[in-house]
Amino acid sequence: MTINELVGSVGLKPLSTFEDRDISGVFVSDMVSDVMAGAKSGNLWLTIQTHKSVIPAANLVDVSAVIITGGKEIPQETVELASKYSIAVLSSELPTFELVGKLYELGLGK
Amino acid sequence: MEMRIIKDVLGASVLGGEDRLGESVEHIYASDLMSDVLAFGKPYSMLLTGLATQQAVISAHMAEFKGVVFIRGKKPKDGAEQFARDNQLVLLSTDLDMFDACARLDESWKKEHHALEKGATEYKREEILLSRELCINGNDFTNAGLVSTQVKSILKKIGLDPKLVRRVAISTYEGEMNVVMHAKSARVNLSITPKLIEVVIDDEGKGIPDVQQAMEEGFTTATEEMRAMGFGSGMGLPNIRKNSDELEVSSEVDKGTKVQMRFFI
Repeated sequence: MTINELVGSVGLKPLSTFEDRDISGVFVSDMVSDVMAGAKSGNLWLTIQTHKSVIPAANLVDVSAVIITGGKEIPQETVELASKYSIAVLSSELPTFELVGKLYELGLGK
Repeated sequence: MEMRIIKDVLGASVLGGEDRLGESVEHIYASDLMSDVLAFGKPYSMLLTGLATQQAVISAHMAEFKGVVFIRGKKPKDGAEQFARDNQLVLLSTDLDMFDACARLDESWKKEHHALEKGATEYKREEILLSRELCINGNDFTNAGLVSTQVKSILKKIGLDPKLVRRVAISTYEGEMNVVMHAKSARVNLSITPKLIEVVIDDEGKGIPDVQQAMEEGFTTATEEMRAMGFGSGMGLPNIRKNSDELEVSSEVDKGTKVQMRFFI
């Protein structure tokens, strides 16, 4: 499944400009070091962190997209930096738990 | 290993070939059976033997060895010394028995190899392909992560293995975040040689009183504010250790911390 396909199927709002790519699994964490240690290339990263430093971290571990859950407001500078690196920043109105359930149903957990 | 070192380690006397002691051997082979030497000995070796005859020296020469050490104070009588001289072999004699001689050589052999690996940076410094100096400002959360992003794109451009690039990027990021959270500023030196990538982060700041403790997973001195941003979970240095091939951390309280990480290509 690609990011663009995902956006339609679980109601995500794309905020940055990015290149569409394949998704390989999901990683959920709000601790950046945890993501650095555990996320794999191509993972979706679900987090409630919205500050700009999320973007370099996402870029370094090469996640396919950052999904910010709970309908949190995302600073413009975070979105701008993401666009600069072509990293997808997607916003979800759902709390993390519910979004994870939907992603799991879509087969992203397997 | 230099034959002079073998001589010193064994406290051996030189029976011949003193002018060749500066040459190195690549292996050491211990045996009293000359057919074994011929069958299994590798070129550029040193033979350790209790067989004090010309036959031992001839076998060593046939197997393209560089020298022979006679153990238990033995000295060959027949034409061995003459043969060694004619064929440019080093002859040594030690009072040690075979077991002690082998044990001592094994120990210093390992030490030498360890030192060589440790000194790899020094020796490889001569063939640096690329080096960059970058700066990190402490407490600058706005630009946090940009230096490691730069490092990543440099390595990516060179075309290095993506898995290796990832390990370097993650380690550099953790080092960078440590500077942002805890130090005033830092210089980052990235150097690349054909065999390794080295990242040195040298900061000015408060330093780490107990480096051992800082290396433990979960140990943190980060503020609530930093933790709320998802940083300071006490995984930084452990993450670097996990992702690098070599890590050295030295620190002086109220001066700063130096983190050196190496990655073998």
